[in-house]
Amino acid sequence: MKSKLTLMLTPLLVLIMSFSFAQEKTITGTVTDQSGLPLPGVSVLVVGTTKGTQTDFDGNYTITAGVGQRLKFSYVGQKTSEVLVGASNVINVQLDEDAQALEEVVVVAYGKQKKEAIVGSIATVGVETIEKQKVTSITQAIQGSVPGVNIITSGGVPGENATIRIRGIGSINASAEPLIILDGSPYNGNLNNISQDQIESITVLKDASSTALYGSRGANGVIVLTTKGGKLNSAPVFTVSTSYGVSKNAVDFHPLVGAANYMKYSWEALRNANQYIDGNDATTAGQYATDNLLAGLGYNPYNIDNPIDANGNLVSGATLLWDTDWKDALLRKNGTRTEHGMTVSGGSEKTSYFASLNYLNQDGNVKTTKFERVAARMKIDSKVTDWLKIGANMAYTTSTSNIPTQSGSSFQSAVQWFYSVASVYPIYRRDSNGDFIYDDNGSLIYDYGNNTQTRNGNRAIFSGENGLGALYNYDLKFDRYNTDLSGYADFTITDYLSFKSTLSYQNYLFDQYQYISDEFGYAANVKGRVSQNRDITKTMNAIQALSFNKDFGKHNINVDAIYEAYSFKYDALGAQGVGFLPNVKVLDGSTTPEGVSGSFTDETLSSVLGRVGYNYGEKYFIEGSYRRDGSSRFAEDVRFGDFYSVGGSWIVSRENFLANSNFLSYLKLKGSYGELGNNQGIGYFPYLSVFDTGYNQLGNTGVLQGGVSDPNLSWEKTASLNYGVEFGLFKGRLNGSVEFYEKESVDLIYDKPLPISTGNSSITTNVGALKNTGIEVSLNADLINNKDFSWSAGLNFSFDDNEITELTQEEFINGNKKWKVGRSLYDYFIQEWAGVDPADGYGMWYKDILDVDGEPTGERETTKVYADATRYYNDKSSLPDVIGGFNTSLRYKNWDFNTLINFSFGSYIVDGTYQSLMGGFESAGRAAHADIADRWQQPGDITDVPLILGSNNDFNAQSTRFLYKNDYLRVRALSLGYSFGDRALDKIGMSSLRFYVQGDNLFTFQSHDGIDPEQSLAGSTNSRSYQLATISFGINAKF
Amino acid sequence: MKNIKLLWFVAALLVISSCSKDFLNNPAPTDSVTDVTIFSSREGAEALLSGILRNQRSQFTSTDSGGLNSIFFARDVKGNDVVQADNWFGFDYAHENREPTYRRVRFTWEFPYYQINQANTLINGVTASEKISDVDKDYLISQGLALRAYYYFQLVMEFQQTYSYDPSLPAPPIYLELSTEGKPMSTVQAVYDQILSDLETAKSLSTDYRLDKSYLNENVIDGMLANVYLVMGRWADAEDAAHAAYQGYDLNGASYADGFNDISNSEWIWGMPQTLDQSNYYWGAPHSFTDFFTLSYQATFFNSDFVSLFSDTDVRNTFLGGALGGTPSSYFYYISTKFTFTFDADHPVMRTPEFMLVEAEAKARQDEFVEAGNLLFAIQSDRDPGAVKSGNTGDALIEEILVERRKELYAEVGVEWFDAKRLRRGLTRTGNSRLIRNLTPDDNRFFLKIPQVEIDANDNIDDSVNNGR
Repeated sequence: MKSKLTLMLTPLLVLIMSFSFAQEKTITGTVTDQSGLPLPGVSVLVVGTTKGTQTDFDGNYTITAGVGQRLKFSYVGQKTSEVLVGASNVINVQLDEDAQALEEVVVVAYGKQKKEAIVGSIATVGVETIEKQKVTSITQAIQGSVPGVNIITSGGVPGENATIRIRGIGSINASAEPLIILDGSPYNGNLNNISQDQIESITVLKDASSTALYGSRGANGVIVLTTKGGKLNSAPVFTVSTSYGVSKNAVDFHPLVGAANYMKYSWEALRNANQYIDGNDATTAGQYATDNLLAGLGYNPYNIDNPIDANGNLVSGATLLWDTDWKDALLRKNGTRTEHGMTVSGGSEKTSYFASLNYLNQDGNVKTTKFERVAARMKIDSKVTDWLKIGANMAYTTSTSNIPTQSGSSFQSAVQWFYSVASVYPIYRRDSNGDFIYDDNGSLIYDYGNNTQTRNGNRAIFSGENGLGALYNYDLKFDRYNTDLSGYADFTITDYLSFKSTLSYQNYLFDQYQYISDEFGYAANVKGRVSQNRDITKTMNAIQALSFNKDFGKHNINVDAIYEAYSFKYDALGAQGVGFLPNVKVLDGSTTPEGVSGSFTDETLSSVLGRVGYNYGEKYFIEGSYRRDGSSRFAEDVRFGDFYSVGGSWIVSRENFLANSNFLSYLKLKGSYGELGNNQGIGYFPYLSVFDTGYNQLGNTGVLQGGVSDPNLSWEKTASLNYGVEFGLFKGRLNGSVEFYEKESVDLIYDKPLPISTGNSSITTNVGALKNTGIEVSLNADLINNKDFSWSAGLNFSFDDNEITELTQEEFINGNKKWKVGRSLYDYFIQEWAGVDPADGYGMWYKDILDVDGEPTGERETTKVYADATRYYNDKSSLPDVIGGFNTSLRYKNWDFNTLINFSFGSYIVDGTYQSLMGGFESAGRAAHADIADRWQQPGDITDVPLILGSNNDFNAQSTRFLYKNDYLRVRALSLGYSFGDRALDKIGMSSLRFYVQGDNLFTFQSHDGIDPEQSLAGSTNSRSYQLATISFGINAKF
Repeated sequence: MKNIKLLWFVAALLVISSCSKDFLNNPAPTDSVTDVTIFSSREGAEALLSGILRNQRSQFTSTDSGGLNSIFFARDVKGNDVVQADNWFGFDYAHENREPTYRRVRFTWEFPYYQINQANTLINGVTASEKISDVDKDYLISQGLALRAYYYFQLVMEFQQTYSYDPSLPAPPIYLELSTEGKPMSTVQAVYDQILSDLETAKSLSTDYRLDKSYLNENVIDGMLANVYLVMGRWADAEDAAHAAYQGYDLNGASYADGFNDISNSEWIWGMPQTLDQSNYYWGAPHSFTDFFTLSYQATFFNSDFVSLFSDTDVRNTFLGGALGGTPSSYFYYISTKFTFTFDADHPVMRTPEFMLVEAEAKARQDEFVEAGNLLFAIQSDRDPGAVKSGNTGDALIEEILVERRKELYAEVGVEWFDAKRLRRGLTRTGNSRLIRNLTPDDNRFFLKIPQVEIDANDNIDDSVNNGR
């Protein structure tokens, strides 16, 4: 009661006091930094009043104050200085760099902390790093900047979100993705809805102490996105930015066989099959191949019949009518990227604001691929009274994209197409003689490879589709509408106690529309198909937080007590219809409905959490966190989970014995331990064994029993240990940290394989444990910093190791991996290629020689029967040994140069694309790699490429033959800029103007060519389109 | 001011204390139902039955491994009558699709077991139900048992030599209830015992009633029994069952040219219906492979020696020569218009002539040549106004019946392979086959190896199971 009285009286007292200084005068001055450069934007306040101003561009300020009052000068990164107003009317101030506060505050779970007070492992990617890149999905900006974070951007679809793993892979079957928090609330929209110019910082929370407050969702780390805001007491600042770029694929493709060679190889494959499989002599076989070549392919790119003679040579007079380069036809050479942005920010004494509007239009690598987005955000914070602060943050984003399929094995997937359909097939329809066929308008017609004509009608591969037709005759549109609203009220109860209530709401509408032509392609026989799905995701999150922070002498105690309620609703609706008139592309025009679907999915999470921190003299820090979560994803009896962490740190450099060290300016030791949970990526009701609807038989409702589940399924838990050292050397010129972590995840939620004869292929249950360990190093150096020239550089890298520590059965085979205690999830376990037998050209693999009991003797031999080949561990893993990044910035007078490189070494990949291209003409019409030229041709040939054989064989089955080292180093960003002189700009009312040229992904150095090195954690390819390399030109202006 | 703050705290406390329990209990799945719902009424259990039948024509794995029709078509292309291009099912045509890691092998194992597990749930759930009446239980259980037997029959045909070769050989494991443990291999004899036990019980519980021709009634169960007895060589039983199977389903030769896509045809006993919103789309072999006049795979041709068996007046002579060019010696010379492909084309599974011919063969095997010949001629004359009765007896009559089975059922349910396997005859490729690959009698290529994924996960089956396969 007493404290509240104080609170009410305080403003009154302030008011009275300000009246007592009636004798005011105008004071001017200049504020400079330690090297004498003027500092713009320094906040100047008359202590004890709300009166304040900011320095202008030249560091000058003007303020009125009375003699005896104190002026307070503060600026980010500088030590705050206070000066007593005396007789002089001029007060010039030089601020010192604040070496101890490397960065003043860092965003942490449910709040902010001084960086020095942090006991856990937190890394921040600031606006300066974000601005150096052109990212469409915001989290890509982390790549190469934070040690211990493995990011893979698979494919070149603009707006595609990256796969992110923080400190290894902590789960097998549940999600291993980090939790994304935007301005304090969980984010369930698509990350590509956030434009990069809205983001102030990205904070990566890695260890238990920093993530424990997220409890059941923190085990895989947390990424906290913080949007920009305005500053109090600052004049409005307008920024305008625009950039234009062109892009192409970042790495080269696999080289393919052209039509001329393709025909010869096809002939050879047929002859070999007839000779070696069916046992005919070479002459008969050669004639057979000549006679059957065109029938197998269905097409003849030559101008005469039977163009390859019985000896495999081109018949004289034969010339190619076409030699299709599908890749060229399907991909863009110059996609464009255009981005415009506008922001305004500022603040009065009590209210600050920030607003931004951003437009982006980006083409993908595959023709017709496009991503277009408009993003707007507005943020207002206001001190309504001195005990109440309220704020609102509103964002609306809409994006529309045309994203034809560009991964996977569907016929419509462009990359799959050009790596599958041989060059002997034409883009446009030809008649049996090879002449073009035109439609009624005299235009060429895409060839779908299923025309009833004697030749050039029936394509042996992907018949009924045309890769280019799939791009232009079908539409595939994704529209996204995202609204984020959040508001808070922050009550100051006393100077050490406050209560904050935050409510956030997100509404995300995803509209997926697909039109398949009525005339061409796979829905032509039902006169076209339109399908549309409209899914609405609503997320509501409410946080009530009571915070206490008080000093008792040198002791400081801070306590947060929080209640959080989270509710997620997913509302899906879909419809599909067929039977359309030409150019009618909406469901209204459908004559026959083909399907409707809809469902609701709800999820709730209710949590109480708390954090207690204590420090002594800002030297010794201890912090503990606790969270109790109840999740609707688990059965009532097992749905609550308790999660906690403890941590401590010691700033050694504040001890007397180091206080005066010139060499070591900062040294901090820290450690933390905690236990966290994971319930993500397992479906919403994983504990229920249910019957799924949707299997109707004519008019009768039909259901099927879903998979078997464990009713007592519960949280995955991760015990996480972290210790590290942070240091600053040479007065903070060189800063760095080294951290070691060990994370053990137990009770993994896993689809344990069942024998398929049980009718179920797996059961979801808690089994097994995984351990991730690693070392992370981060170094940043200010090498040179003076008026004309500055140079800084940073390097970070991590070694991460993954190990299975417990399984309920001895081992699982999982695709091309075998999971066994002591092994990583990602250790390959595949057949070992033993080369090609020079005698007959057959591929060989190794197999164990077994003793009488069927156990391996340790000896091995080669076999030509793939099914007999033994699978082995080969000490190769799809996880890299080391990942990291390097960045450097140079400034010389008005020029600046920045680069950002990321690298990954030690991983292996199974190149499935190459594997398919080396199929060796096993089936007709499939595209082939140029390496087929090295094939075995006659007895005695020494080569690693088997004979080509038009018959089912396993030569290109999975084995170490297609396992490649996948080291790479990628220059993610490279920019060169010129900023105009301040004085010149001042005259035209601008405060800064920068022109720049920027390259994203311009250079990639890789150990295995032909595919983009970023594919998947598991080291598998999936016919993905390639990442884009973009060169852009841009202008940023500030007013 | 004080009051406002108090109000806030009270409100916040209320929110926190009131909502927690309900808040967490409220979410429940909306797109699925529990076993309580399913087994508390006939309609509920019937929904599971409908689901199993719908899944017969599903898109289970891939274009050549979608449902029951994929199993049949893979058998069709292994014979001599059908010529498959180098396309889907091309490796089956080449007899090269039986290794443990291959999709065909996994599918042909996994799909029947998937259906069997669903049938087990139906049988056991209905048996245990206290809410379903006994009459309804009989109706549901008979269909469940018959489906289970039918899929065990497919498994034992695909994964071991035929019954008469050696019934003691290892055969796929038998599950009669939900299990999370893999069972060891059984024997051919044990599987046939189970099949017969299930089918005979199903028969005793069945009536002529069913929801529509995609469900099972006594005709369908008799049809299943007829083919099982045929494989086992129990001719008298086969004769009775086959005769019972087609009662009420009359021959309709004129409809042979209608495209084999309509379940309402009077001679269809059991089929898989499709509608535009319940379609397996392009996975609908044989229609999606044999029809050259609608957009689809256009990959199935017919052997010239087979085509020459048909007279010009035979309605079953659906063959067109040279539509894609070539000469009669080109493998792609003959196509057929028997099947018309649309997304709503129904699939035949059991038709009257198949069982008339089973009955005829069974009679002939019991030396009842006159009656057998009459049955045979009933079909021949229905199909071909110019048909002349051969008057064959003995082996000649049996051979004529077997040829008639191929002529009647080509590309439908794998009859050429089925007969070659059960009679241990081998399959010889002739004429304009794309690949001359012959199977000797009892050739290992008449069955598949055990899939690796089963071996990897089943503690009771190891790699040695494939020794000698």
